[in-house]
Amino acid sequence: MTIRTVAALALAAALAGGPAAAEETLALYNWGDYINPEVLKRFTEETGIAVTLDTYSSNEEMLAKIQAGATGYDIVFPSVHMQDIMLKLGLLEKTGISAHPDFANIDPAFLRSKEDPEGEYCLPYAWGTVGIFYNEAVTGPVAGWADFFAIPEKTGGKISLLDDMREVMAIGLIMNGKSVNSTEPADVRAATDYILAQKPKVTAFTYESMALLASGDLAAAHFFVGGNVFFTETPNIRYVIPAEGATMYQENICVLASAPHKENARKFLEFYLRPEIAALNVSQQFNGTPNVPANGLTPDFIRQNPNINVPPETMARLQIFEDLGPALRAYDRAWNTIRTAQ
Amino acid sequence: MSRRRERAVLALLLAPVTLYLGVFFLVPLATIVVFSFLTPGLYGGVEWSFYHWNYGRIFGWADGITEVFEPVYLRILGRSLGFAALTVAICLVLCYPVAFWVSRLPERWRALFLFLVTLPFFSSLIVRLYAWLLILRPSGLLGEGLMALGLRSTPLELLYTPVAVVLGMVYVMIPFMFLPLFAAIDTLDRAQVEAALDLGATRTQAFLKVVLPQTLPGIAGGAVIVFIPSVGNFIVPDILGGARGLMVGNLVEQQFLAARNWPFGSALSVIIMTVVLTVLLVFVARLRARGA
Repeated sequence: MTIRTVAALALAAALAGGPAAAEETLALYNWGDYINPEVLKRFTEETGIAVTLDTYSSNEEMLAKIQAGATGYDIVFPSVHMQDIMLKLGLLEKTGISAHPDFANIDPAFLRSKEDPEGEYCLPYAWGTVGIFYNEAVTGPVAGWADFFAIPEKTGGKISLLDDMREVMAIGLIMNGKSVNSTEPADVRAATDYILAQKPKVTAFTYESMALLASGDLAAAHFFVGGNVFFTETPNIRYVIPAEGATMYQENICVLASAPHKENARKFLEFYLRPEIAALNVSQQFNGTPNVPANGLTPDFIRQNPNINVPPETMARLQIFEDLGPALRAYDRAWNTIRTAQ
Repeated sequence: MSRRRERAVLALLLAPVTLYLGVFFLVPLATIVVFSFLTPGLYGGVEWSFYHWNYGRIFGWADGITEVFEPVYLRILGRSLGFAALTVAICLVLCYPVAFWVSRLPERWRALFLFLVTLPFFSSLIVRLYAWLLILRPSGLLGEGLMALGLRSTPLELLYTPVAVVLGMVYVMIPFMFLPLFAAIDTLDRAQVEAALDLGATRTQAFLKVVLPQTLPGIAGGAVIVFIPSVGNFIVPDILGGARGLMVGNLVEQQFLAARNWPFGSALSVIIMTVVLTVLLVFVARLRARGA
């Protein structure tokens, strides 16, 4: 999303203007609002390494910048399918992080990268679900996508979807019982038809839905689990992982092949292996962590919320994105059709 | 000798801007044109082989196998041009009388007014558009205000509609229309207007025969400056349109990021530039003809 890009550029410009210090530094390039600032503060306090943080709003934005030759960044946080692409393009550095004794903290189920099945390159960072936020006072109970799309007719409330090609297409694929990574033209067509049929009921495709949900202008919105951070004091706004199925995301901490501070980057990966650090991040981010002992250290309201600390039976209906390769073209065409349909 | 010297001085004075534009304008432009004829790389970037389907899928000679022709791209382009033209028209209608009024103000008030027109530039466009989002949402200032005044009984449904997009674009573009208009109107020879009226012209005749031709350069300048950025605007439709009314700028952004198809994004950019340039050349030529 553009807005965050501009903010990130402004931030980058501001940082570039800072004084050139002789001290040790580490440059992170991460999604916006995707790490607890407290984690970085602790890291600096312990190691004396000053951390700079630039942000991006999509995997593709990050890839485009790194491909275009952006240097100076040490660590990036790609989603699993983007890590695979970056490994194929030779953009990542082997860290040997899996050889560290604390790597035993990491649940092996989160070694999802096909190109890095042993975790020799990247450290599984965090994961979360994409589901439905709804204002129960307006919508009544919502269990899944069927309930979600029925809200406008039933209650007059408005709903929004994410302005994201893969996430929106995934809803159509899930409702047709297909894989969210299907490259079959018939599956893509069926998913498109499903979304087109819902479109008249959808008020907007946007990332800015949380503020409108809080103000009552939206009754429900398709959003990341991290949105819970806005609604800790509002019991009528709830989050659900749709019964029909949903997507999950997972990002990993990777060191760039072009990183100027590889040693500092390795220290950061080792620092993040510690359960109390991962738990510190979760307590502000509301997402899941692959660090098993960390799950026992998170605040009660997170640990006891089954839509945040997800039980295995819910886990079973989550799907994760893989790179589509050439089939991305068919999705792009479908997405243009969806966005321009009246 | 002196002529040679003159030439040397001229070359010296022109060199910096020529170099600057050569490096920072022509090279990127050439890159876009070249990329638009190359094969898209699987993970973004380009492969260095000739590929005309980027244009084929827009204009209709795609073979349906390598690329598929879809009229949706031309439709999006048409919609963007329409929105931009509408923005120009509304800005003109709003700014023309105000520019007249301001040009009649005493010097001190005039300076204050011009300062107020440029005031929005002091804060970020993104922040200002988010403010509009807060104003336009159903529970926002405008909707609640109209309901409180009893002018509406149902909540205002403006946000995420084409009306909101045009409203936002007009808001962003008003200073760009106002300033050239003001410059033209301010230098208007008022004696000619009075002469026309004295010689029996009606007010309408005086406006059409004297005022309009003299302010035409300002109108043309404002229209051009508003039209060009409006066609390619993607921030306003993104924030206020909720991505439902896709404009061609959004499409280009999407090709470079989510779709990882740089050549197609380049082809779209080349077409935007060509269309905008053509529209402007025709427009300016017509104005010249009428002015002459």
